[in-house]
Amino acid sequence: MIALLILGLGVQQVYAQTTPAHALKNVTIHNADGSATESATIIWRDGVIEAVGTNVNIPFDAYEIDGGDSLHVYPGFIDGYSIWGSPDLPSNLPDLDDPGNPPYYRSGVQPERNPSDLLTEDKNFETAMKAGFTTAALYPNGYMLPGSVEIFYLSDDHESVELISDKVGMAGSFESAPGGWGSGAYPSTLMGVMAKFRQVMFDATALQQHIKYYSQNPEMPAPNRDQVLEALFPVINKEAPLYFEVDSKENIERLLKLQDEFGFGLVIVSGKEAYAKADELKRRNIPVLASVDFTDAPEWYKDDEKKDDESEDSETEEVEEEISEEEQAYRDKQLKAWKSEVSNIKNLMDAGVKVGYASAGLDLKDLNGKIKTLLEESGMSEQNLVQLMTRNTADILGINRTHGSIIKGKNASFSVFDKQMTEDDAKVQHNITNGIIHELNGE
Amino acid sequence: MKKLLTLCVIAVAFVVSVHAQEKGSVLIKNATVITVTNGDLENTDVLIRDGIIQDIGKDLNAPRGVETVDASGKFVMPGIIDAHSHLNGVDINEARNPVTAEVTMEESVDPNDVGIYHALAGGATSIHLMHGSANVIGGQGETLKLRYGTTQDGMKFEGAKRTIKFALGENPTRVHGQGNGIQPRTRMGVEQVIRNHFDEALDYKRKREAYLSAKAEFDRRGRGTPPVPVAENLRYEVLNDIIEGEIYVHCHSYRADEILMLMRVFNDYGIKNYTFQHANEAFKVAPELAKNGAMTSVFSDWWAYKFEVYYSTAYNASILNANGVINSINSDNNQLLRTLNHEAAKVVRYGDTSVNDAIKMITLHPAIQLGIDDRVGSIEEGKDGDVVVWSGHPLSIYSMAEMTFVDGKKYFDRSNDPNDMRIDIDPGTDFEDGANFREIVTRREDDACLQDAFILMQNNTQN
Repeated sequence: MIALLILGLGVQQVYAQTTPAHALKNVTIHNADGSATESATIIWRDGVIEAVGTNVNIPFDAYEIDGGDSLHVYPGFIDGYSIWGSPDLPSNLPDLDDPGNPPYYRSGVQPERNPSDLLTEDKNFETAMKAGFTTAALYPNGYMLPGSVEIFYLSDDHESVELISDKVGMAGSFESAPGGWGSGAYPSTLMGVMAKFRQVMFDATALQQHIKYYSQNPEMPAPNRDQVLEALFPVINKEAPLYFEVDSKENIERLLKLQDEFGFGLVIVSGKEAYAKADELKRRNIPVLASVDFTDAPEWYKDDEKKDDESEDSETEEVEEEISEEEQAYRDKQLKAWKSEVSNIKNLMDAGVKVGYASAGLDLKDLNGKIKTLLEESGMSEQNLVQLMTRNTADILGINRTHGSIIKGKNASFSVFDKQMTEDDAKVQHNITNGIIHELNGE
Repeated sequence: MKKLLTLCVIAVAFVVSVHAQEKGSVLIKNATVITVTNGDLENTDVLIRDGIIQDIGKDLNAPRGVETVDASGKFVMPGIIDAHSHLNGVDINEARNPVTAEVTMEESVDPNDVGIYHALAGGATSIHLMHGSANVIGGQGETLKLRYGTTQDGMKFEGAKRTIKFALGENPTRVHGQGNGIQPRTRMGVEQVIRNHFDEALDYKRKREAYLSAKAEFDRRGRGTPPVPVAENLRYEVLNDIIEGEIYVHCHSYRADEILMLMRVFNDYGIKNYTFQHANEAFKVAPELAKNGAMTSVFSDWWAYKFEVYYSTAYNASILNANGVINSINSDNNQLLRTLNHEAAKVVRYGDTSVNDAIKMITLHPAIQLGIDDRVGSIEEGKDGDVVVWSGHPLSIYSMAEMTFVDGKKYFDRSNDPNDMRIDIDPGTDFEDGANFREIVTRREDDACLQDAFILMQNNTQN
């Protein structure tokens, strides 16, 4: 451990003629397929894994790090949809003269924005590293069409957060236009957002046609170029999917209706009630980057669980709380609703839907608690969880050739825990992203 | 364009077949059947099979497996239809522009609202879910069957006419003119907003069609200069559908002068199928309405909630009826929706309208106004099994709806009426907080038509 600390300090300063390798030895590797390899070694150089296994030769130029058989290595967690590093939303918007015809940015239509142009300081980057994340798809904070989705290597300061893939998709939601009483604008309702979405798609379609015609027929009137509409061309042409944040069953149905009309590729983000549409999502081959931001369990349920534990310990019978028949009926429904929410990911996986992980607004300090709930209440295994947060998410984001597993030839992005990640008080000691070691010391 | 339309029609047909509704069968025996179109039939049975009324007669036998309901001493009436409701809208007003024909309540349906069950308990089986009255030309409406427990698509009244909300008078002028300083600020402005938008829509249609035919020609010949594309415009497409008669207009209105104004405008554009909603002063122009084939949908006795609604009378419905105007009685309110039979009864009490004509005002007439009278609104063989068993005559204050059937399927049964019929539970809401589902009596002065839009007027008064 001490050796690792000392080496870690020197890592970034030393550059030889050929970049030296790193070797992390005597660790337990938890693979994305759920298997574990004990007393293993990982060798990487220039951000690429050169060798993994129990019987590998450590190159002469490698910095050796000895895990002392106590450390657990997982493929770096990938957040499939996160807002980290996004500038704050504007406040105190001025009133518009004609709120029915707002400029694009005031109606929430900003597909031309890219996170890579906007990244700003955010302490969540460091928090994410400490939680074991090495990679994230980011999008800019906004409204119905807030900008593109891009994938980044994480780092603890935003200056070093580096782009992996640009414009892998377009972010979307049913959020209405920003603004309050006087400053609000069209669209201000769900139905308005749907209509506005259609209209910008029609307008972009016409502009693309015009640009195409004009390129071959310079004698015709020139098109009015428009970076907002042009940013939507990849969606119209089905070259980039919409990453659409949506939770309720009814809103998922509304979104599928739009997909029927325009045929765009789709990734559902958050999707808290996606289980209710699991078969249809499977049929349409729509993946879900699922949120684990579950509602807290009902208080009475938590109390009951606690009492159960206590009575097991003391072997005394607790007196049942007296409640009306009507309240009991309500509690049954409430618990069923809560269990459905918590079992969403499991049910989607069982139905054969591709499911990955997205923080989608979750406060990272709540992550451990939510994961605990997920494992205890939904019947999901640790293996399912690791898959969800690594390989499956990489697959949905289209970076599975380089990310999501600890295999020779893949990107060196993994997290080193002091215990198995699901154990109480498990902490991330180091986080390796793109081959660079970040010392976290399990803070 | 035509091709696109055909595709849309196919898509719609597909959706409907996917969401084919659960149909039921039932034999209701020995009731007084209020047919609406064929008088009241005593000691009569009604057989509904697979959602359709198959037989009306005496001593009918229940086919194997069909449940029998003994309705001796009871009344069977067609399900009540409310031509003006905001019962289960997710949003009601897209109030940020005076014309929003492109938005549709079809996309604002909450199928889980427990109010649907409460309405069934009042003998209602269909509602016209309307956009609010903040805009001169508001959003399109959606006619729903109250199939509680189904999906948003499952609630749709298949084959109902498309509808749209217009609004005249104080609401649009207050929200847009006074609230935002844009047209319309006056009733004159309201007329111009309608005319201007119809003219713009016609202009758009000409340009769009010219583009599409030039494009087709260019694509066919593969040479020459291509046309400058004209983007499809959702708002103008819908306005053209109104002009072409594909959409029935339901216009929020109060004063006689603005009612006459809209009829003139519609005559200019050849628009024929329309209903004036509220229309408190319609009695003043009843002959003119009848002459134009215009319909009305009014309150029995609700007024004075704002300046333009002071001049009103409880004889409005009776006068319109006596003049041959097809009139319905609506609720515009979730509580009133549960007692629309009482509202119809008042028309008998005030204006001495016949009982059958009063019942028409909550059954057949709203069905005509929504373009669903071939399916519902009366008890006739071949029509949908949307019927209600009442404990006594439905216009009696002592009568209660005992069973409500939609498509022959029982959705409400007073003898089996659990306390808590909510179907969409938020797991974060505890019983104590969630118990307010009983508070179904909403305040009438909360004009539902302006839901989501009051904020704009409040803003105005602050400035």
